[in-house]
Amino acid sequence: MGDFRQAQNEAHPNKTNTLMVGIIFLLIGILGIQIWLLYSALNNALDDNRGIAVAAFLGSSVLFVMALWLLRYVPQARKLTRKKTSQSKYE
Amino acid sequence: MSSTTDNEKIPNWKSDFPIRQDEATHVSRREFAKFLCLLSGGMALGNAGIVIKAFAFPHQPLMGEHLVCSASEVPVGEMKQFVITGGLEVPYILIHLEENEWRAFEQKCTHLSCAVHYRPDIKKIECPCHKGYFDPDTGVVLQGPPPRPLPQLEVVVKEDKIYVKAMEEKIV
Repeated sequence: MGDFRQAQNEAHPNKTNTLMVGIIFLLIGILGIQIWLLYSALNNALDDNRGIAVAAFLGSSVLFVMALWLLRYVPQARKLTRKKTSQSKYE
Repeated sequence: MSSTTDNEKIPNWKSDFPIRQDEATHVSRREFAKFLCLLSGGMALGNAGIVIKAFAFPHQPLMGEHLVCSASEVPVGEMKQFVITGGLEVPYILIHLEENEWRAFEQKCTHLSCAVHYRPDIKKIECPCHKGYFDPDTGVVLQGPPPRPLPQLEVVVKEDKIYVKAMEEKIV
């Protein structure tokens, strides 16, 4: 079972790519919603509508925590398993 | 012997490209994801700033009555620009709509703070920057990008003198 992860990664080399792209798209989506919240909060606060500002702040904070949580699933850089005694003299 | 040691030296290009090609795509995208997360934190912080500004430094209503000019200075259909100084210097416009019909609005457009002016030929307040139009009677947006109505002041006429003060009630 020790090399299960390595075997999985070798069998499905595109998996980390898909995961990475998915996470980046989710983060961009989160940012888009946060920009919209910021704009709405600013406009309503200038019109003395404070309730929207508080709700937008809470929403934006929750989205930020979600973005932080998503970072846990960002795949690590691929570890090289090639030995130093390979053919290339520059390795 | 010396040629062997030269070959074993690390070539210059390696210091310019320290990350292997097959690692590079992963590294840059991981950094990008972290940067997006940082931006997300910035947005939440910006929202917190708006809340602090709204509660700790609320908008102060205009106190008292302020003399603008005498009624004869502004003919019907004309406008006059004036400034009320206090904590901030806020520019306003006084509009003489019809006989005994006066309106006063803040001159800063609610879109990007350009100076608005009254156009008697179309009977609208115009923002020349992005062609936003406001109703000169109520200040509500008629057309264009402004998101909010113009802040309005109440006009009081006393003995041929024009005074302005804060609106008693907000017109919805």
